[in-house]
Amino acid sequence: MLHTARPIAARLVLLIALGGLAPALAGAQDTDEGWDDEGWGGDPWAEEQTGWQWYGFIEGAVAPRLQSDPAVNDDFTLAETRLQLEGERRLGDYTANLKGDVWLDGVEDGGRGDLREANLAGRLTAQTDVVVGRQIITWGTGDLVFLNDLFPKDYVAFFSGRSDEYLKAPTDALKLSWFGPLNVDFVWMPRAVPNRFITGERLSYFSPQAGRRVAAPPKLDPRDRDDFGGDSELALRLYQTLNGVEVAGYAYHGFDNQPSARDADGRAYFPRLSSLGASVRAPVLGGIGNVETAYYHGEDDSGRDPDRPNDQWRWLAGYESEPLSDLTLGWQYSLEWIQDHDALLAALPRQQRRYAPDEYRHLLTNRITWQSPRQDLTLSMFTFYSPSDADYYLRPRAQYRFSDSLTGTAGANLFGGEDDWTFHTQLEDNSNLYLRLRYSF
Amino acid sequence: MTPALRLALVLTAGLLTGAAQAQMTDATAIVEAANEASYYAGDDGRSAARMMIVDGDGNRQRRQFTLLRQDVADGGDQRYLVVFSRPADIRGTVFRVEKHVGESDDRWLYLPALDLVKRIAAGDKRTSFVGSHFYYEDISGRGVGEDRHALIETTDDAYIIESTPRDPAAVAFARYRTRIDRDTLLPMRTEYEREDGEVYRRMEITEVETIDGYPTGTETRMTDLDSGGYTVTQFRYSEYDIGLPADIFSERSLRNPPRQWLRRD
Repeated sequence: MLHTARPIAARLVLLIALGGLAPALAGAQDTDEGWDDEGWGGDPWAEEQTGWQWYGFIEGAVAPRLQSDPAVNDDFTLAETRLQLEGERRLGDYTANLKGDVWLDGVEDGGRGDLREANLAGRLTAQTDVVVGRQIITWGTGDLVFLNDLFPKDYVAFFSGRSDEYLKAPTDALKLSWFGPLNVDFVWMPRAVPNRFITGERLSYFSPQAGRRVAAPPKLDPRDRDDFGGDSELALRLYQTLNGVEVAGYAYHGFDNQPSARDADGRAYFPRLSSLGASVRAPVLGGIGNVETAYYHGEDDSGRDPDRPNDQWRWLAGYESEPLSDLTLGWQYSLEWIQDHDALLAALPRQQRRYAPDEYRHLLTNRITWQSPRQDLTLSMFTFYSPSDADYYLRPRAQYRFSDSLTGTAGANLFGGEDDWTFHTQLEDNSNLYLRLRYSF
Repeated sequence: MTPALRLALVLTAGLLTGAAQAQMTDATAIVEAANEASYYAGDDGRSAARMMIVDGDGNRQRRQFTLLRQDVADGGDQRYLVVFSRPADIRGTVFRVEKHVGESDDRWLYLPALDLVKRIAAGDKRTSFVGSHFYYEDISGRGVGEDRHALIETTDDAYIIESTPRDPAAVAFARYRTRIDRDTLLPMRTEYEREDGEVYRRMEITEVETIDGYPTGTETRMTDLDSGGYTVTQFRYSEYDIGLPADIFSERSLRNPPRQWLRRD
């Protein structure tokens, strides 16, 4: 019964979404508003605003699976109507920021909410900025490949068809930035904030213990790292730009954002992770080149405990250029090198060895973006391909900006490969096609 | 005032007026002067700007931003910071440029939803600026050395310059004609032509005000004659020589725009 009821619920959500957007579609044709301030909202000519300013959007989204998933009882990875409200208020030298989403979810059946930002940001001294509270933090040079950016990601949103901005998950943190001959960012997260990882509720995944792809129930339920102070995380970045060359050094002391370890009882948890890294980004041959590296010091630095990750070197090299007008091409190569791979293999029970990661995981990515001359239509394709895992992940997308307030997006998340247990192939049955319509206000 | 002093003042004033109206004859010098009048007024400047983008079917889109500019050298390198406030889906986006004359600019874009500082490949400067009919080089200036310039007519109030690209393969036009005001040296109308002489793109300054002593184009219009679409840009609350510190043109300002320099008084 559930199997048939859920897609119907999903479709209902879509209909409500489109119904709500119909007036917006009509409004997209507005032609008469001239230069009067009404057409410009409440911010005429960069005047300093007082009180709360509100912005936001309403979005309808559906993502049917391209095949049925034997593990998940739903034909959709996404079916929702979402409202995002964003508020901003100036308070002297500071700004209070609020951003929250509420949505009606046709896959997880019910109303959902998420507070994405709730912070106070401003200048502490002439040389110091501070952001305290819930915020999104990003650094590093990779394009959808992260080495030194160990802030939380939302892979469920990313793989299921939500907008790219939802790849970054919020974190409760204190961020201090000092600007001098060398710029310093210091981030303290008093409670570890993990990724929004795949639990089996919306997307299926491969379980080496079960030896097959699984989904909820039971959902993957790792031990929380929620001891305020005791489970805190620190992240540091030192950076400077010299003659157009951006150089940065990074350090992190916290926990793996994925529940990559298992305790004696077999329960998943977030193991200790510390890292050191560096990056350089600069113009090269008319494009932008970047290299980045990170050394991950895992909980098991000898590799003898297969239930805990050991040390890794990660490397990334990328290049982006615009060979023709309105066409951008980006390439990346990344390497994950497990340091004690022999010990790891030796410690694994024989039947688990085939699921073990390779010593070297190579990943190639390519991004092709074409924009129409007026930039209302954007076509793009992002390809992940791993020659060592023999798997791939394709993200084709077409986006059309009907007007300043209405944007439509169609795209797909396509996974595949040889072995059921590799990073991308395990998601094969979650391959989906998505359609989103967003009205901004 | 003594008669001698009065005479001296009158003579000096006469000399100055004469100098301003002196006829220039060197085409490249005129183009350089027009370039400085358009893009290098004062040592720095701030302006609020709004664009209305109208496509061939009459659909309108809007962009609103504040522009900060600092000259590293007159007629040479410059720093720009463009902070968008409208429409809602672009609000908070910040664009930073280190303009280098004769070599590629450095460009960065800050996307607030992802807290992402994106470095942009120098690429083509003849692509649309934020979806408008203006190109990047229309906003920040096309290098004077990229074209050959010829003075083809001097009227009572204007110089008419014809420019042809040194590298025709890099651009879509065969030549362009610019009508430069002899008093203000502002390029009041620029028309881009195809090989057969057909004008397909026209930029006009439709409003001029003198601000802090600098004649300023406060409304400009770019028309795409092929589609009938056009973009009108208005600049308001412009100020020059406000003493912008060099360090506000930095990554710090992408994530936390310098409000004290952005707001108008």
